Amino acid sequence: MVMIAALLGITLLGAVVTFFADDRYAARLATAISSIPALLSVWMYWQYYQNFQEAGNALLTPGEAAFVQQIPWIELAGFELQYYVGLDGVSMPLLTLTTVLTTLALVSSWTPISERQNQFYGLMLLMEASLIGVFAALDFFLWFVFWEGVLIPMYFLIGVWGGPRRKYAAIKFFVYTNVASLVMFVGFFSLVFGLGDEISTLGLPAIAQALRGGAELGSLFGFPLATVAFVLMFFGFAVKVPVFPVHTWLPDAHVEAPTPVSVMLAGVLLKMGTYALLRFNFTMLGDVAQTLAVPIAAIGVLSVIYGAMLALAQRDLKRIVAYSSISSMGYVILGLISFQEHGVGGATFQMISHGLISGLMFMAVGVIYNETHTRMVGDMSGLADRMPWTVGIFVSAAFGYMGLPLMSGFAAEVLVFLGSFQSTVLPYAPLFTGVAMFGIVVVAGYLLWAMQRSVFGPYRLETDYEVAGAPFHDVAPLVVLLLLVIALGVAPDLSYRMIQHAVNPILDVGGGI
Amino acid sequence: MAGAFTYAPAIAALPFVSFLVALFLGDRMPKGGALAGIAATAGSLLLSAWVALTVAGGATYNQTLYTFIEGIDTFELTLGILIDPLTALMLLIVSLIAFLVHVFSLGYMNDEGETGLPRYYAGLGLFTFSMLSFVYASNILMAFMFFELVGLCSFLLIGFWFREAAPPSAAKKAFLVTRFGDYFFLVGVVGIFATFGTGAFAGAESFPAIAEQALNGEAEVTTFFGMDPQTWFTVLGLLVLGGVMGKSAQFPLHTWLPDAMEGPTPVSALIHAATMVAAGVYLVARMYGFYALSPTALAIIALVGGFTALFAATMGVVKQELKQVLAYSTISQYGYMMLALGAGGYVAAVFHLTTHAMFKALLFLGAGSVIIAMHHNENMWDMGGLKDRMPVTYWTFLSGSLALAGIVPFAGFWSKDEVLFEALIHGLGSDGGLGTVLLAAYAMGLLSVFFTGFYTFRMVFLTFHGKPRTETARKPHGVGWNVKFPLAVLGVLAATIGFLNMVPLEKLTGIHLSFLHDWLAHGGIEMTTSETYGTLLHDVAGVTAHYPLGELGTTLASAAVSLGLALAGVGTAWSLYNVDEPTEHTDKLGSLKTVLMHNYYQDEYQVWLATGVTYPLARAADKFDQGVVDGVVNGVSSVSLFGGGRMRRLQSGVVSNYATLITTALVVLLVAFGLIGGWF
Repeated sequence: MVMIAALLGITLLGAVVTFFADDRYAARLATAISSIPALLSVWMYWQYYQNFQEAGNALLTPGEAAFVQQIPWIELAGFELQYYVGLDGVSMPLLTLTTVLTTLALVSSWTPISERQNQFYGLMLLMEASLIGVFAALDFFLWFVFWEGVLIPMYFLIGVWGGPRRKYAAIKFFVYTNVASLVMFVGFFSLVFGLGDEISTLGLPAIAQALRGGAELGSLFGFPLATVAFVLMFFGFAVKVPVFPVHTWLPDAHVEAPTPVSVMLAGVLLKMGTYALLRFNFTMLGDVAQTLAVPIAAIGVLSVIYGAMLALAQRDLKRIVAYSSISSMGYVILGLISFQEHGVGGATFQMISHGLISGLMFMAVGVIYNETHTRMVGDMSGLADRMPWTVGIFVSAAFGYMGLPLMSGFAAEVLVFLGSFQSTVLPYAPLFTGVAMFGIVVVAGYLLWAMQRSVFGPYRLETDYEVAGAPFHDVAPLVVLLLLVIALGVAPDLSYRMIQHAVNPILDVGGGI
Repeated sequence: MAGAFTYAPAIAALPFVSFLVALFLGDRMPKGGALAGIAATAGSLLLSAWVALTVAGGATYNQTLYTFIEGIDTFELTLGILIDPLTALMLLIVSLIAFLVHVFSLGYMNDEGETGLPRYYAGLGLFTFSMLSFVYASNILMAFMFFELVGLCSFLLIGFWFREAAPPSAAKKAFLVTRFGDYFFLVGVVGIFATFGTGAFAGAESFPAIAEQALNGEAEVTTFFGMDPQTWFTVLGLLVLGGVMGKSAQFPLHTWLPDAMEGPTPVSALIHAATMVAAGVYLVARMYGFYALSPTALAIIALVGGFTALFAATMGVVKQELKQVLAYSTISQYGYMMLALGAGGYVAAVFHLTTHAMFKALLFLGAGSVIIAMHHNENMWDMGGLKDRMPVTYWTFLSGSLALAGIVPFAGFWSKDEVLFEALIHGLGSDGGLGTVLLAAYAMGLLSVFFTGFYTFRMVFLTFHGKPRTETARKPHGVGWNVKFPLAVLGVLAATIGFLNMVPLEKLTGIHLSFLHDWLAHGGIEMTTSETYGTLLHDVAGVTAHYPLGELGTTLASAAVSLGLALAGVGTAWSLYNVDEPTEHTDKLGSLKTVLMHNYYQDEYQVWLATGVTYPLARAADKFDQGVVDGVVNGVSSVSLFGGGRMRRLQSGVVSNYATLITTALVVLLVAFGLIGGWF
C-alpha cells in the first residue's frame, strides 16, 4: 500500500513547487495541490470506514492496521530503522482532519496573506507533510523526524507572517516545544535502553508489545525506570498539548500567528501532544499511568477550570479561543486517564471534534478581523447587523464550543464524562469528573459574554470605511467546517466506532495495580 | 393500532423542516416563512391527535430508533421514542400552542412590519422540533440533549431584537442561569448511566425499574462514595433537579425568566409560559418512578415548589408592566406543579401543567394583543379602559384571569385545588420529616392563592377597566383575525379544560368525572402509570394520605378554603383598583415595596456572583498566569540568555583559536567513539 507514501510525496513535492512558484498564483496553486491529499485521505477514510472499521490498535495489534508499508532503511547502533507507516482508528481520523483542515486553512489564507505568498504556502504544505508523517509513522525514528519537522515551518510561519510581537512568540514556541521534545526523547530512549535486547527495531509496535509484555526495565537512581520514562515523556507531550502549567507559549503563539496558522496550531498541532500521550504514555506504559492516575487527572481538571477562568479574563477574541483550547484539552487528559472505553474513546473523539470546532472558531474570528481590523471585544458591537452570515456561523461555532447537543463537542465531552465518572483506576473519579464538568458553565459564560458584547447590541465600530459582509471564499471554509461539526455531532459513529475498536486494546492493562 | 406510531417521528420532524425552509428560503416566501411553520405545526397537531387517539385505545410505544453511540464493552447511547398517556397529552399541548402561536405571530410580527422574520420563524420551528423531541424522548440523555436545544432556541428568540442592548443581555442571562442548572442535570445524567448502565425512562430495563429492584435487593447497582443505594439515588435525583429548577424557573434559579420577557410576546407565550418552562416539571413527571423512591428528594421538590409559588406571587403584586406580572405569575404557577410532584400528586401536577399551559399562553397572547394596541407600551399605568375598545381580547383575557386566579368553574380552579388537596392530605398522613415539610409547603401554596387572585385582577382592572389614562389607550391600534382566533380558541379552553378532572364534583355527586386520572393510570409500559407511582410512593417513600374530615369532607373543605382565599384576593383587587382612576396603593407598603420592586435583590446577588466574584477571580488567575507561570518560563529564558552571553566570549574572532578548538574537539570525539565502538 503506497497511499501514505503518496500523501507524503504529493505534499512535499507540492511544497517545493509552491516555494518556487510565482507569487501571483501561489495561493491558488497550493490550494489546488493540497486538495489532492485531502481528497485522497477522504477516500482512504471511506475505505477504512468500510473495510477496517473493526481493526484494532496499530501498536498492539499491528497486523490489523491499514495502509501499512514497511521498508527497512538503515541500521544504527544495533537498531534497525525503517520506513514504517500505517493507520488505525485513532490515526485515520486525525490524518484526515489534518489534510482537510489544511486545505480549508489555505483557502482562508487568501484574504489575510498578501506578502511572500509562495513561501507562506510552501511552508504550510511542508507542515502538512510533517503532520501526516506524525500521525502515520509507526517507527520511532521516522516519527521523531516528522515530529521535529513540524516545528520548523511553524517557527517561520509565526515569525515572518505574524503580528507585532511575532519574533518573541515564534522563538518562545520553538524553544519551549523543542526543549520539551528533548526531554521526551531522553525519556523514550531510557525505555529503549531499558528494554535492551528485547527489541531489535525502533518500530513502535514492537516496543509497545515488549513493554506491555511485562519486560523488566530496572531502575534509575532508585526510581523504577518505567516511571522515570513516563514522567519525562509526559512532560514532553504535555507542553505540546498544552496543559497547565506548561501552556504559556500557546496564547502568545496564537495571538501573533496569522489566522490560518492559528487554525493549524489549534486544530492539529495540539493534537500531536494528545496523540503522542495516547500512543506512548497510555498505550506503552498504561500500568504506570494507572499508578499516577490522581496527579494526571488533577492536571486535566486543573487545565479545564484554569484555562476557562483565563479565557474569562480576556478581551481579545483570539486569546479567548486560545485559552479555551487549554480547557478543552484538559477534558482529553481526563478521558485518557479513565481507562474506560467511552473515556479514552471520548478523549480521542474530542481531539477530532476540537480540531474542527477550534479551527472553525479561529477562522470565524479571522474573518471578522479581516473586515473590522480588530479583535478586541470592547472595540466593536452589533456586528450581526453588518455581517449576518459570518456572525451566524460564529455564534453556531460558539455554541458548538459550549457543547451544544447534535454538534460534535457534545458527543465528545459527554463520552469523556461518562467514561471518567465510572473509571476504576482513578480514585474519587466522580468527584474529578464533577469538578471538570463545571467547565461547561464557565465556557458558556465567556463565550456568551463575548458574543453579547461584540456581535449583538447596537452597531458600533470606528472605521473610516463601510464594513460589509465577507467574500465567499472566506465564508465557504466556515460552512464546510460547521457541516462537519454537525455531521459528527449527529452521527458520532462516523468516527467513533473506529476509535472505539482502536482504543479498546489499550484498556486491558494486564495485572492492573 | 401501530399506524400512528409509525408516523410519530414526523411530529417533531415537520417543524424541523419548517425551520430549514424558513431559514434558507424564508426571505423568498410570502410572510417570511410563517406559512411553512403554520403548516408544519398544524401537521404536528393532527399527528399528535392521532397518536392521542391511538393511546386512548390502550396502545403505547417505547422504541429505540437510532443508536447514537454504540458500546462495545460498555453501554450504548440511543435516541428513541416513548409514547405513553403522559407523552400523548404533552404532545397535544405543545403542538396546539405552537400552532396558535405561529398564527398569532402573523399579527404580532408580520403585520407590525418586523424585519428578520425568516430568523424568527426558523427559531420557532427549531424550538418546536426540539421541544417535541424532548417530550417523547425515551431516555434521559436524549431528554438532556433536547433540553439544551430548547435552551438555545430560547436564547435566540429572547435575543431576537439583537440590535438593542437589553435583549442580548437577557438572552445571555437566560442561557447562563439555565446552563448552571443543566450542569447539575448533566452530572446527574452521567451518574445515572454510570450507576445503571442505561438511561431509559420506561420499561423493565429502565433505570427507575432497576432502582426499585435495587432497593428491594433484587438487582445490583454501582453506587459511589460508599453510599447505600437509596442515598445515592437521592443524590442523583437532586442533581437532575438542578436542571429542572433552572428550566422551570424555580427559586433560586428563577431570575432569568422575568428578563426573558425582552423577547417577542408570542415567544414568551410559547416558550416562557406554556412549553419550555414546563420542560423541567415534565422531566420530573417523566421519571417520577425514580423520584417516588426517595422521600428526601420529594420533600425538597415540594419545599422548593411551595416556596417559589409564594415568593414569586408576592413579587407579582407590585409590578407595573403587564408581561412582568405574567412572568412572576408563571414562576409561581410552576411552583405549584413542583409542590404537587413533591407531595405525591402526580396527576394533579400534570393536570395543572395542562391547564396552566392553556390559560397562561392565553394571557400572554392577550397581553400581546394589548401591546399591539398600545404601540408596544407595556406599562399598565398607561392603559385603562381597554375593555370597550377590544372586547375579544378583554373577554378571553378575563377567562384566562379567572382560570389563573382559580375561580370556579374555570380551569385553574380544578387543577390548583387538586394540587393543594394532595399536599394537604399527604402532609397530614405522612410520617416524620416528609409530612412536616409537605404541610409547610402546603401552607405557602395556600397563602399564595390569595396573592394570585390579587395580582391577577389588579392586572385586569388596571389594563381593561377604569378610564383610559393615555391617548394611546383612548385610541388603541386594532388587531386582526390572526390575533383574535388564537385568543378565542384558548379562551374557550381556559374556561373548559378543567372539566377533564373535576375531582371534588365527582366526590360530591358520585358521577365519574376524573378523566385525567383514568388517562394517566393506564398504559402497558413499566414505570409509566400513575398507579405504579402511587404504589411506590406509598411503599417506598412512605407518602400516606389522611383525611381528617372524611374523604368528602376534606375534599370540600380544601376546595372551599382555596376558593375563599382566591375570592378574597380578587375582592381586594376589586376594591382597590376597579375604579375610574386607580392610584398606586403599593406605596403604602413602604420599604417592603422597594424590596419587592428589586425582586428581593436576587438579581443583584447573582450579578455580583458573576461580576463581583467570578470575574475578579478570573482576572487574578490571569495575573498569576502572566506573572508567575509565564514569569518562570521567561526567567529560565533570561538565565539561558545570560549564560549564552558569557559563552559567546569563546567566539573571539581569532582564526587560530578556532583551529585549536576544532582540532581538540575532533580528537576527543574520535577517542570517545573509538572507546565505545571498541576500536582499541
